[in-house]
Amino acid sequence: MARIAVIGIGNVLTGDDAVGPYVVKVLEAGWELPQEVELLDAGTPGLDLTAYLAGLEAVVIVDAIKARGAPGELRVYDKEALLRKSPILAVSPHEPGVREAILNADFMGVVPPTVRLVGVIPQSVELGCALSPPVQAAVPQAVERVLAELGALGATARPRVPPLVPDLWWERKPA
Amino acid sequence: MGKLITIDPVTRIEGHLRIDVEVDGGAVKNAWSSGTMWRGIETILQGRDPRDAWTFTQRICGVCTTVHALASVRSVENALGLEIPLNAQLIRNLIITTHALHDHIVHFYHLSALDWVDVTSALKADPAKASQLAESISSWPGNSRHQLEAVKAKLEGFVKAGQMGIFSHGYWGHPAMKLPPEVNLLAVAHYLQALDIQRKANQAVAILGSKTPNIQNLAVGGVANAINLDSPSTLNMEKLFQVKTLIDEVVTFVQQCYLPDVAAVAGFYPDWFKYGAGVTNYLAVPDLPTDEKMTKFDLPGGVIWNGELKVAHDIKTWNDDYLKQNVTESIAHAYYDGNWAKGPWDEETAPKFTGEWKHETPAPDRYSWVKAPRLEGKPAQVGPLAQILVGFISGHEPTVRWTKAALAAVKAVHKIDLQPAQLHSTLGRHAARAIRCAMLGELAQKHWKLLVENIGKGDTRIWVDPMANLKPGIYKGVGFHEAPRGTLSHWTVIESDGKSMKLKNYQAVVPSTWNAGPRDDKGVLGPYEKSLVGNPIADPKLPLEALRTIHSFDPCLACAIHTVDAEGEEIARVKVL
Repeated sequence: MARIAVIGIGNVLTGDDAVGPYVVKVLEAGWELPQEVELLDAGTPGLDLTAYLAGLEAVVIVDAIKARGAPGELRVYDKEALLRKSPILAVSPHEPGVREAILNADFMGVVPPTVRLVGVIPQSVELGCALSPPVQAAVPQAVERVLAELGALGATARPRVPPLVPDLWWERKPA
Repeated sequence: MGKLITIDPVTRIEGHLRIDVEVDGGAVKNAWSSGTMWRGIETILQGRDPRDAWTFTQRICGVCTTVHALASVRSVENALGLEIPLNAQLIRNLIITTHALHDHIVHFYHLSALDWVDVTSALKADPAKASQLAESISSWPGNSRHQLEAVKAKLEGFVKAGQMGIFSHGYWGHPAMKLPPEVNLLAVAHYLQALDIQRKANQAVAILGSKTPNIQNLAVGGVANAINLDSPSTLNMEKLFQVKTLIDEVVTFVQQCYLPDVAAVAGFYPDWFKYGAGVTNYLAVPDLPTDEKMTKFDLPGGVIWNGELKVAHDIKTWNDDYLKQNVTESIAHAYYDGNWAKGPWDEETAPKFTGEWKHETPAPDRYSWVKAPRLEGKPAQVGPLAQILVGFISGHEPTVRWTKAALAAVKAVHKIDLQPAQLHSTLGRHAARAIRCAMLGELAQKHWKLLVENIGKGDTRIWVDPMANLKPGIYKGVGFHEAPRGTLSHWTVIESDGKSMKLKNYQAVVPSTWNAGPRDDKGVLGPYEKSLVGNPIADPKLPLEALRTIHSFDPCLACAIHTVDAEGEEIARVKVL
């Protein structure tokens, strides 16, 4: 069983909300990850996220976040910040989700010791199958940040040679 | 003075829901349900190959992924008149049943039990007494004194640390809470055990669907699970036995823990078998097909009118013209251009927002993005209760047996004689969900056996090519699925030149639209709306009772309640998770 997971959260049919799954697809195509790292595009799993967190040593979650700042800016939170009640930080639009999943996992005694949320501030989360320009431009930074988090956990990724094309099936136009 | 309670959006996943409740003299006088359910799938699918539609539709809702995938492939298969290999039907049925078990267990323990269970009261419980009580009702092994002491200690740890963890947003100490401390402690213990069990149900879905939450194994024409009992990379005997072990564990939990818990908790709230009936017209569709032509089903479908315990229309197959001709959606009170009621194949989506509703009553003419589905022009409630009532009346053996078992369990603990008619209620919906789980668990075991037997006969077919006999023309299809929240239908119009296919129209009529839809052109209330009228509200600032009724429908959305008086002044705002 994987020790570390990178979980992309978000709805690929609502614009910048796809950024979590998008980053997962870019990682999958461009990088060879150590065996203990599992990549998961989890969609918008709600409380089911608990099941995907349970028993991991570490999890890096990528998601669109509601926070003060310009579209495309990154914010990184750790477990304590996610659990802290903060009037400024509304964490993720997928609340109740990340916080509740961590708390449920904690109650079960299976919460990952390390939790990181790499958040990207969206421009638009309206219906549509494409990222906005500022969020699209932020993808490489988000990917770098996830790789840095993995590196800090001792799970260093190597570039895939040659890289594959990311499977962004939802962006394909009708024939 | 009348007070208005509003349930307002706090999340945009899968749309949001808002319920406004006018309260007078401690009870609900009037109610409005509004929201922004998914309303764009047709825009995204227009012009695409119908074989790709399911990968998109399963993203409509992150919690109901498998159900929208299934309804989509069934819709295209129905349009093309395909027959589906038996293995594919049975693998799909196993995904349907294990997903539903997972979904219902999570709904009861993790999303709605805390409407009835006071976690802080569990701190006063005597674990030895709680254990004795539980063991007198059930042989579930998770009720030992030792285990209950550990759960109590965990809760005490939360309190000592100055926070309640996952339980920090509850209606603790509310006057409508009636369980004794020992029952509260049992419920918290089972909350924890259910977290583990729901993972097992989810693992079964993952093995069969190749992945969760978004399954990968479907295809128009069947499934993509290559079957070779001896190959490690296909669906083999080892994987099938893993699935069986997981199903068996979940079934044990449902029979020994979930059903007895619902009975034990419900008996302390007998009044809630009187509240919340709402619309007592019911619709369920047949599901779990057991043949390639889809003429035989293990779950019955039918229509009930006005709470009468007789099936007015027996729906035997998905090709029953009754449904194709009598399902319409009304936009009279929704934000769309026009004032029509049309069948899904003929609908067009032309949004026309007429301004935000503040808090005035009555609601403005147009107050919701949700259309109002109607059957023969009338509202209908969908969900486990609809299915259980249809099954009970039509003599569906496992439904009858488990319904009787549930009523007997209430009687054994509480000496209350419940009649099937009392299931038209808030608690009736919870009971029906537990009954449905007990029944679906057995059917999962049965369909596992059918699959293994069929493979044993040497049949390894899993797919038919939908393009094989394609002719130029327009094809209309509907895919039905009796999903955890009720009757789901996807309606497709396909255009083909004989070599390729394109989607011309696509509409999803989802269970929460049936239940949460607004008034129709005749001003008739939808099921959520009507179910709230007459509910008691002890404290408008903490409208726990409204929450109980809404939660009993299992809305797959999050929302918040806020309370205002009749002049639109806000009194309180409460989050509903």
